[in-house]
Amino acid sequence: MIKSDELIIANKALAFQNKEKEKRANELIIANKELAFLNVEKKKRANELIIAKKELAFQNIEKEKRANELIIANNELAFQNQEKEKRAAELIIANYARSLIEASLDPLFTISIKGKITDMNNASVNITGVSREKLIGTDFFNYFTEPNKARKGYQEVFAKGFVADYPLTIRDHKLTDVLFNGSVYKDEQGKVLGVVVVARDITEQKRIEKELIEAKVFAELATAIAEEAQSKSEITRKIAEDAVKAKQQFLSNMSHEIRTPMNAIIGFTKVVLKTDLSAKQKEYLTAIKMSGDALIVLINDILDLAKVDAGKMTFEEIPFRLASSISAMLHLFETKIQEKNLKLISKYDKNIPVVLLGDPVRLHQIILNLVSNAVKFTTKGLITVSVDLINEDSENVIIQFSVTDTGIGIPQNKISNIFDNFQQATSGTARLYGGTGLGLAIVKQLVEQQGGKTSVQSKTDEGSTFSFCLQFRKTKADATFVNEIIELDTEIKNIKVLVVEDIALNQLLMKTLLDDFGFECDITANGKIAVEKLATKSYDIILMDLQMPEMNGFEATEYIRKKMNSSIPIIALTADVTTVDLAKCKAVGMNDYIAKPLDERLLYTKIVSLLKNSFNMKKTTNEHLESDANTKIKCTDLRYLSHRTKSNPRLMSEMISLYLEQTPPLIDAMKKSLQNNDWTLLLSAVHKMIPSFSIMGISPDFENMAKKIQEYANTQQQANEIQELVFKLENVCVQACEELEEELFKIKNPK
Amino acid sequence: MKNGTKVKLFLVDDDAVFLKSLEIEFLQHADFDVEAYATGEHCVEHLSNNPDIIILDYHLDGIDKNAMNGLETLDKIQEYNAKIPVIILSSQDKIDVAVNCMHHKAFDYVMKSETAFMRLQKIINAIFRYQKMEKELNWYMERM
Repeated sequence: MIKSDELIIANKALAFQNKEKEKRANELIIANKELAFLNVEKKKRANELIIAKKELAFQNIEKEKRANELIIANNELAFQNQEKEKRAAELIIANYARSLIEASLDPLFTISIKGKITDMNNASVNITGVSREKLIGTDFFNYFTEPNKARKGYQEVFAKGFVADYPLTIRDHKLTDVLFNGSVYKDEQGKVLGVVVVARDITEQKRIEKELIEAKVFAELATAIAEEAQSKSEITRKIAEDAVKAKQQFLSNMSHEIRTPMNAIIGFTKVVLKTDLSAKQKEYLTAIKMSGDALIVLINDILDLAKVDAGKMTFEEIPFRLASSISAMLHLFETKIQEKNLKLISKYDKNIPVVLLGDPVRLHQIILNLVSNAVKFTTKGLITVSVDLINEDSENVIIQFSVTDTGIGIPQNKISNIFDNFQQATSGTARLYGGTGLGLAIVKQLVEQQGGKTSVQSKTDEGSTFSFCLQFRKTKADATFVNEIIELDTEIKNIKVLVVEDIALNQLLMKTLLDDFGFECDITANGKIAVEKLATKSYDIILMDLQMPEMNGFEATEYIRKKMNSSIPIIALTADVTTVDLAKCKAVGMNDYIAKPLDERLLYTKIVSLLKNSFNMKKTTNEHLESDANTKIKCTDLRYLSHRTKSNPRLMSEMISLYLEQTPPLIDAMKKSLQNNDWTLLLSAVHKMIPSFSIMGISPDFENMAKKIQEYANTQQQANEIQELVFKLENVCVQACEELEEELFKIKNPK
Repeated sequence: MKNGTKVKLFLVDDDAVFLKSLEIEFLQHADFDVEAYATGEHCVEHLSNNPDIIILDYHLDGIDKNAMNGLETLDKIQEYNAKIPVIILSSQDKIDVAVNCMHHKAFDYVMKSETAFMRLQKIINAIFRYQKMEKELNWYMERM
């Protein structure tokens, strides 16, 4: 056991040794391994160094790169700086544009594609009344009264790229009307970013437009009203005119109706006044007559004024003798002036031409009115009527007529309207002196319508002077109607008068008056009967009423002159002088006229003067007949010719030569045609002779003879009578030729 | 009556005596410028002288059967210018002659006599009054 234990210990030591040895071997292996590893590591390190070297080279390249990049970046930076500067400049411009936009009074919006407001100017803010901040991002359409329409407008901008003058109304506190103009704006790529909209405020325009329309409507309305008014006034005018016409018709009818009985009243009063009467009776009858006269004057005045108002007053231009016309008229006032114990002085300018062309009837009327006024308003003193030549040239004369009285005069403040209708100086005048106040109105109208002028000077209680100027044409013609009062001629007796008058009362009056004059008279009721009567009985003179049934005075006179070839004197009886158509009376061949109511004195003088003329003529022809009993009766009478030619010898000889040239061939033609039974030629030849008869003053008997031949020729009767008539006619023509031959010689060779 | 210028008057009559007497009458009234013609043919030839009024005898073919008569002349005048007023003058006193003349558009018909001139003067005045009225009427019509 100790050896085993030693051995076990030796074995154990040996086993430990062995183990140690093994550990050492293991450690050796690890060391080996470590060595090997270190070797590897060394190698690795070497490799790594190579890499690092490589890396370094790389890093160097990199660094160079970086430096280059830095240079570029620098450049970039410089560029960016430049750019920034540019931006800044642009920004200034943009700001400037912006301020312009802001300054615009038209609202400006930009709207996004979605219809949101992205920007606007100040005007938009003002108009919408919404602040800028609140506006941005809101819907653009909401600011208009019609959002749909606004949307449509803005869609249109996108569709078309623009829109022009699209009308909308902004929904602000006062609903501003705008015209909407827009266009799209795009980015650089051409993508549409939104719309720029300008809304022009057209409130003012609209207002003006509205006003214009209103004004137009107004104007149209006014025109319509005016037209209506016009048509109304037209109607009223028509009515007024009709009324005036009716008034005139009424006046003229009435005045005629009143006049007729008045004529009888006044006429018979005059007749009765001439019979034996008691003083009382005479006084009453005188009153009746005076009232009647006044009434007639009044009626005439009213009628005249109505006529002047209607512009129907016409003025004649006939030759008349002014001096005798005036003195005849003043004659009418003699009794009245004597009654009132006044004095009448008439001053007449001797330089006034004897015969003038004018309207004597109207002149008469004017002066009559003035003088009767003067007489009426004058109680003592004198009335002066003066007629003065104011101006005279080769064709015309201007004559001033004045009537001066020493009467009551006219107050200064009444003078201006004294010529108005129905005006008298004082309202008391009418009560005191009577009258209608129409006289001066008529005077004024009559004077002014003839181109004259009236004037008046007056002093209360001292008198008045009324004067007027009228222009008259000068004439060489002689006055035909002479209103002169000729001294009564008692030589004339046994006068046969034919009165043509349809009103029984007037017939009786005429008969009474004519019986009074000692004239014989027959009365017929109208022109037709008168003409028949005239054919059976001879009369010295005819008094012819103008208005009658069946055949009136004009027709009857024409018939008597033309058909009956009678030159019997005819005096027209007319109801009112103022309307009497003197020219018509003259044209149909009346010798004179006389106004009703009849002034018996005037009637007598007119009848007598006319008869005297015709008697004288007859006497001379009778003398001719007697003296020419053995010699030949002169068949021609050159009075007509010399009157017509105003005795111009050249014209007269021309006329006579022509007659002498023309007549012999006519006589030949007449004779030959009778031999050949060429009735047409006979008719024409005789026909052509007829007019020259009256020119050469060959008696109407021969004219009638010629007419008879015409009748025979017309009926183509071969009769003995026609032979005889032609023979007579031939003789008278031959004789006329001889006589005219002599006359011609006389004219050409004056002594 | 026309103002200023004289009224041009044509007188047409184959009766030389009457023609002359009318001419004298008209010339004494200084308003007139008278041209006298003995035949219708002469009158028609001179229509270019523009007469204001023509006074025409009815019986122009009395002696010379081939001459143009009054009515023919009247028709010729109407053809030339229907506005010229023609007054027929005649010693015919038959109504149907006058009526016939009026049918041929004569302005009026006047009998040859001592008063013919006066009648003519009246008619001439009436013509001018009528023409004036017509002018005025036109003037108003136009403004209606």
